[in-house]
Amino acid sequence: MQETRLPQTIMERLAPQDFVERLAALTTGYTPDLQQELQEPAYYDRPVLAEPVWHWEIIWYFFFGGLAAGCYIIATIAALFGSREDRAVVRTGYYLSLLALLPCPVLLIKDLGRPERFLHMLRMFKVKSPMSMGTWSVVTFSFFSGTTAIIQAARDGLLGRWWGARLLAALPQKLIALPGVAVGFFLGSYTGVLLTATSVPLWSRSKLLGGIFITSAMSTSSALISFVLRLTNAVVPRFIVGNSLHKLERLEWAAMLIEMTGILAFLHESGRAARPLVGTAPTEHGMTFWRFCFGTGLVLPWLLQTLSLLGGRGSRRIGRGLLISVLVLVGGYFLRRTMIEAGHISSKDARTTLWNAKR
Amino acid sequence: MAVEPQRAARQPGSHNGVNPLQAAVSSLVGSKVPPPPSQPAMGFFTDTSLCIGCKACEVACKQWNQLPAKDPVWTGSSYDNTGALGAITWRHVQFIEQIGDGYQGDRKGSSLPDTKFEDRVAEAKSSGTIPQVPPGTALPFFNTDRWLMRSDVCKHCANAPCQEACPTGAIIRTEFDTVYVQQDICNGCSYCVVACPFGVIARDEAGTHTARKCTLCYDRMKDGMVPACAKACPTDSIQYGEVDKLKAHARERLGILHERGVGEARLYGVDDDILEGGLNSFFLLLEEPEVYNLPENPPRPSNNVVPASFWSIVAALVLGMLGIVFFRE
Repeated sequence: MQETRLPQTIMERLAPQDFVERLAALTTGYTPDLQQELQEPAYYDRPVLAEPVWHWEIIWYFFFGGLAAGCYIIATIAALFGSREDRAVVRTGYYLSLLALLPCPVLLIKDLGRPERFLHMLRMFKVKSPMSMGTWSVVTFSFFSGTTAIIQAARDGLLGRWWGARLLAALPQKLIALPGVAVGFFLGSYTGVLLTATSVPLWSRSKLLGGIFITSAMSTSSALISFVLRLTNAVVPRFIVGNSLHKLERLEWAAMLIEMTGILAFLHESGRAARPLVGTAPTEHGMTFWRFCFGTGLVLPWLLQTLSLLGGRGSRRIGRGLLISVLVLVGGYFLRRTMIEAGHISSKDARTTLWNAKR
Repeated sequence: MAVEPQRAARQPGSHNGVNPLQAAVSSLVGSKVPPPPSQPAMGFFTDTSLCIGCKACEVACKQWNQLPAKDPVWTGSSYDNTGALGAITWRHVQFIEQIGDGYQGDRKGSSLPDTKFEDRVAEAKSSGTIPQVPPGTALPFFNTDRWLMRSDVCKHCANAPCQEACPTGAIIRTEFDTVYVQQDICNGCSYCVVACPFGVIARDEAGTHTARKCTLCYDRMKDGMVPACAKACPTDSIQYGEVDKLKAHARERLGILHERGVGEARLYGVDDDILEGGLNSFFLLLEEPEVYNLPENPPRPSNNVVPASFWSIVAALVLGMLGIVFFRE
């Protein structure tokens, strides 16, 4: 009990409710005025919209899908532009991409009302529907991620020394990865576009969610790759990661900076519609969002990363590096979780929905 | 019976005079059946000024479409214990009670006096004359309390967000220009549920696990019959017909109401450009749309795809460039 209480107490000290409430008002530019809102006409406060049926499956899919896309993109950039020592990044990135991708179809199919009809998704190629395009991007990306990882495995000697493995190793991995990266960027961002193309005020008022999700995919992926590289380095000292970690950390630092800017712009544009995400009312998710997504998931690791980068290569320690990675990964998960769960609250808020429809 | 041979010819399974290979292929992938010839667009005109809140439409809809009853709940707020449209509720009657001083709605254009009920009674007592009843309004004497009713239904939007969102092609426009969910295609992904700006379509969690909503009685329409709710409506509050003629009728009805002093009457989904094309199932309201939980001018979700994609591409380009810069020695 003591252990579970402790982080809570620290959080209450660092981010008390009135502070979070002031943050919410400041970032959204909207201070809730209950009297004013009650003057607005509505029908017994019954929701205007139907509640989304998306729950934990979709949250984890968004998280893993982002990792699969981000790891693939980073690995390919390292393969095309990196040096010889960056081959550890390439290898780790391609394997992690495939690993993160594996649960995605399972989660997506489980989420359907009629899972046995999942192939009906491939009846159409509908540019107007992000759900249709997203399904196609998952299918296409599976091909690229699978192929690239198998080639990598063949080159690493994991498939043995027979002629088939030699043939696979000879395939042009970089050439295959080029279109794969484009699909990867699509996979990492379409989830945000999918949420934007709905009627839920929180998701649709600002148009930045796609950009935020792909940026978060990059920050969490560089965190995951550097986490694995650092661990491998600690366990196998011969395994040299050299300058690669430094490159990954700089990418992670920049992605986090863009992500924070994007989220602040998102909140500013959404205004009142962002309340379920940032507010502190019992139904609103602000306490979780500010503490675990924005606070310890972005601002804290970004500051730690800044210290590390300023301190030069010598001052970096394994512990701090691993901690930054874990914080970023947890923050990325909570970004998706609070966004989906606050979307449920947003869909139930009749007055804000009606306000959102006045133009 | 005359319809039967025609129906048989439309069945995908019949391959008379087709070579065996084609027959085998079409039995696997389904043969391309030509769509039925286009018909005039059909829709509903729901005139709330005539609704008496009898819920016959709800019952008729449930009966004809064999929709199960939902678990009974008591809302405690009005006679509306149905609550909302949903997977097994395709007509829903609302009861809006505008009673007493607490009511703060829009009375612009209304001929109703603005003073309190008690004040008017006191005035009548002191002066000894009963004030004139405002024309075409609330009944008991000088009472301004109002009881509004409306039978809600799928709007069959000209640009239907649910149909635009559907990834399987289960949601189609029929030959009558109505929006219809093919139950054998839908796989219950529920993207339509969050796309609909009116909260109409929902996934049937207890039954088929597919998305369901009003079909405008597609089966009855095909045989030239009036949809069940319109047939059952005792006051012609629900009218069914060709959209163009119905819209003309709606404007005419609005003119009559305005003439008779019901200045607060207005149309919803007729002349306005809701979702950039109006609604095939539209309403005459006696209040501003929000009072009926109707969004005044909801954004069209599919319009968000381009700007959201644009910002995604911007982010992708910036991140890609940064990656290249950092990984280059």
